[in-house]
Amino acid sequence: MNPNRSFFVPVDSPLHRLNPLTKLTFVFAMILPAFLSVPELAPILAIPVFLAAFIGRVQKPYLNLLLKLILPTITFMFVMQSVFLPGGETILFMLGPFDVTQEAMRSAFFTVTRIFVMVSSFALLLLTTHPSELMSDLTQRGLPGQFAYVIISTLQILPQMQAKAQTIIAAQRSRGLDTESTFLKRAGSLVPLVSPLVFGSLAEVEERAIAIEARGFTSKKTKTSLHEISDTSFDKGLRWILVILILASVALRIWLS
Amino acid sequence: MNIEIKGLRFTYPTGLEALKGINLTIQSGEQVAIVGQNGAGKTTLVRHFNGLLKPTSGSIFIGDWETTQFSVAKLASRVGYVFQNPDDQLFSRDVLSEITFGPRNLGYAKEKVDELVQRALTLTELSDKTETNPYDLSPTWRKMIALASIIAMDTPIVIFDEPTTGQDAVNVARIANVIAELKREGKTVITITHDIDFCAENFERVIALSNGQVLLDGPAREVLGQEEILAQTYVDPPQLTRLGKRLGLKETVTRQEEFLQALK
Amino acid sequence: MAFINLTNLTYKYPLTETPVLQNINLQINEGEFVAVVGPNGAGKSTLCYTLAGFVPHFFKGELTGSVEVAGASLLESTLDEWVLNVGLAFQNPFNQISGAKYSVFEEIAFGLENIGIPREEIKVRVEEAMVRTGIRELADRSPYSLSGGQQQRVALTSILVMKPKLLVLDEPTSQMDPIGTREVFGVIRKMAEEGMTVVLVEHKVEWIANFADRVVALKGGEILLEGKPNEVLTSELLSENGFGISRYTSAAREAQKRGLWKKKQLPVTLDEAVEGFKS
Repeated sequence: MNPNRSFFVPVDSPLHRLNPLTKLTFVFAMILPAFLSVPELAPILAIPVFLAAFIGRVQKPYLNLLLKLILPTITFMFVMQSVFLPGGETILFMLGPFDVTQEAMRSAFFTVTRIFVMVSSFALLLLTTHPSELMSDLTQRGLPGQFAYVIISTLQILPQMQAKAQTIIAAQRSRGLDTESTFLKRAGSLVPLVSPLVFGSLAEVEERAIAIEARGFTSKKTKTSLHEISDTSFDKGLRWILVILILASVALRIWLS
Repeated sequence: MNIEIKGLRFTYPTGLEALKGINLTIQSGEQVAIVGQNGAGKTTLVRHFNGLLKPTSGSIFIGDWETTQFSVAKLASRVGYVFQNPDDQLFSRDVLSEITFGPRNLGYAKEKVDELVQRALTLTELSDKTETNPYDLSPTWRKMIALASIIAMDTPIVIFDEPTTGQDAVNVARIANVIAELKREGKTVITITHDIDFCAENFERVIALSNGQVLLDGPAREVLGQEEILAQTYVDPPQLTRLGKRLGLKETVTRQEEFLQALK
Repeated sequence: MAFINLTNLTYKYPLTETPVLQNINLQINEGEFVAVVGPNGAGKSTLCYTLAGFVPHFFKGELTGSVEVAGASLLESTLDEWVLNVGLAFQNPFNQISGAKYSVFEEIAFGLENIGIPREEIKVRVEEAMVRTGIRELADRSPYSLSGGQQQRVALTSILVMKPKLLVLDEPTSQMDPIGTREVFGVIRKMAEEGMTVVLVEHKVEWIANFADRVVALKGGEILLEGKPNEVLTSELLSENGFGISRYTSAAREAQKRGLWKKKQLPVTLDEAVEGFKS
């Protein structure tokens, strides 16, 4: 993770210039049809999602994420589903004691493309949107500030907890705790690691609550934002088109069933 | 047990070069304070002593062990390390089991563990609190529990990272007592500290780090008198040293008795 | 009428028997810089939390007596109103970072956004505050990538930028090097001279004597001594009760016994010590 602890890639691109809500709508315009509509739609939606990474000039970090995170996950899911999904008749081949059927593979393929569309479109949102801007935009549109804060601070504080866990591990290893050996030994060493993390986090949560409250977090005044977020007529038009797409795909589903 | 550091360089994965060629020998039984501005590399340096960090280049020997050849858990039998924040290590339901954890990990016989734990409890004035939950005690006492839990490991070398931060005068005196006792037992004590008066009163040798390099190294009196050089790493000389200078005393003084003697 | 009025203030945390603050009576004038000293467990942090409104509004518990700041009564105010007048920074800088912001600049702007300051004014004020505390060059860094001392400066700046009438600081320099500490004390002193009232908890006695107008010594939840820094910090009561004292004071006290310190008044600061030993 980069030093700024977010996925955001600070370059200029048509995607970066879009209003955060427009991009969020795009995410839902991909995910909802992929999951709600006919299964065949998901592989088609995967194409615009993939291309959008190039429009956003974030293809490199995106492909990186794809290779390291998304592909391993969906490959695993594909294999599991192909092997274990019951009810197929056309047996293609045997994998050990399991039958792999055409129907199972087909179904697995559609499931993983759905997952691909979901994770990829979210990744694109995070890669091309500064998290503060997303939060500011949503709060200005009426999302409760507390709600936005919980989302964004969780994203920020998770890497912090990781860092704290590292310190605790270092402290306990310095006391002769062997964390490098067998699994059984490792399981036994969990309490000294988890307990300070939990107690520490509880104390931190309380102090952080005080700190943000002291800075007017629950003030009843209308919040302002440091960032000016543009919302062009192009954004508005695009959002309408995306909403229509969502509705159309849902209608298609109802019509076909 | 000596510590031998040769040509130590360390670069963090982020690319930050924190140590830029350190050469040091710390003799068995020395009391060493490491001072220097935030980010000078103090913590990075001492984390090499028990193998938490491994050099990018150069070497560290703890006695005849090269740190790269041993696990941290193994090195823990030679180097005890008290972390800055006690809450990063306290996990037990009572003080006694917390302090027993380290020596037991090192595999000492039960009688020896009991004896070491008792000694650590006495030294840190925790004997009347053995059954208390560490989290029911004040942060000051939690600091003492952390100290005790490392001292009980009976390692020839003990490292303290900022032991006096946030402690009141009474507890600072307690910590100074612990350090004096370790000295009597012939142990090597290495302390990172911003508290320069504490440093002057309890340590014989001072190493000033700046920007990943050794700026000054020598007997406390010599190092702490070099006002201009210390300023490079944002350290002021001790109060009495500054006073002695202003009064035009010929010798650098660091402690009260020295000062009063020089005044006559 | 004083700016801060504490009258018979007594407070117990929930589910506890012993009061942490007992019968505190204290008046502080506007623009005064008051330092609070005391051993651990004396009630210093609780006093800070009370002035900042978190006792009793956040911690609950039982508060008797009265707390008035800038003409408002604590028990009759809500916390969100109270914090507009009172800024609080405390010891652990890491837990004061909001977690909602990705750069130091944004972090410092957080409070101003919360209280609805217009965008252009936010930018000017954040810029000004950063220059003041010497962290302008950290503006684009992530607050999490900073050292403890730097984070403490960010925490302080985040409060200063809101221009509270009362600034409450609980060991704001604990992780700073000596020269950083001196700089920050200078900044706080200047804020006081410009009319901000400051209540500061601090162990570093020499700095208090150099910068504060008045010292309150707390012990066991009660005010043990109160007065001019030089008088309070050289009192024998302090050493007897486990307070930290300056090396100048202890050296001069010993020198006095040996006839090497002639004055009656003992020193706290370097200048006082030099002057006294020279005469």
